[in-house]
Amino acid sequence: MNIEQAKEIVISAINTALEGKAEITEDMQLIGGESLLDSMKLVEVCLALEDLADEHGFEFDWTSESAMSKSRSMFRSVAALAEEFANQSEV
Amino acid sequence: MIIVTGASRGLGQAITERLIERGEEVIGLARNTNGLKINAIECDVSDYASVKNASKEVKRMKKQVKAFINAAGVASMNMAVTTDESTVQKLIQTNLVGTIYCCQLFAPIMLRQKQGSFINFSTIAVALALKGESVYAASKAGVESFSRTFAREMADFNVRVNCIAPGPIRTDLLRGITDTQIEKITSQQVIQKQFQKSDVCDLVELLLDEKAASISGQVLNVGGV
Repeated sequence: MNIEQAKEIVISAINTALEGKAEITEDMQLIGGESLLDSMKLVEVCLALEDLADEHGFEFDWTSESAMSKSRSMFRSVAALAEEFANQSEV
Repeated sequence: MIIVTGASRGLGQAITERLIERGEEVIGLARNTNGLKINAIECDVSDYASVKNASKEVKRMKKQVKAFINAAGVASMNMAVTTDESTVQKLIQTNLVGTIYCCQLFAPIMLRQKQGSFINFSTIAVALALKGESVYAASKAGVESFSRTFAREMADFNVRVNCIAPGPIRTDLLRGITDTQIEKITSQQVIQKQFQKSDVCDLVELLLDEKAASISGQVLNVGGV
């Protein structure tokens, strides 16, 4: 999966979680004070991404140690999450 | 399906047997599954990768996980000054870190279901500050603290988290403890008697019951404190 496909999938999942009530940008934060997603919505996004990964024939591991322990979390932005999603599709 | 860690011995084994008796499908997690007559996955709870592999295996089963019971544990009854470094590490790594690994890595399954229950194990030594159990009690105090906070994190997803804190139950963990020492401990409980594995199994059943839907973030001290 290329990064553009991944971005489309991630944005779609976030959009669903936010019920279309906000414009999703690539630099939008997913955690922290400026995030539009509360922790419950973020979990919903991750579970949706698990399902979407399944449809694309790979496992998306959002509890992965390597993903979580990077000095810059995959949840720092929509683009970062999309990048992680695309990377995991290649494993 | 109910998952039980430490299913090969002690309380974990007793709980597993009780749940199977009542018709539950149980998956046991144990370091050594050889000779176990139940469905089991080899797993060392103190090892992140091992717990991760077990969680993936369970996830692939695509079955409803009703509960996860963290019964694996180690004990060492010593004063802090006579507890060696490796024992300190082992107690914290297995009892506290192992419980955290299992909760965090199996939680996504229950978050998806929006249903489930974690039962973690502490000890009455935490509430009673029992002399000679400082490191063991510290590891279990961590489990209690983690469980209370984890319960709040899981509550929005209809997942409950509770702790059972047994007193001196006759298991391998009590090897070398004399009857006099046991009596000294039980005399500090509200109900001053030694409880059995079956009493702990009863509490597990109670927490699994739908009628316990309002109980989360609690520590149930067996015998009372």
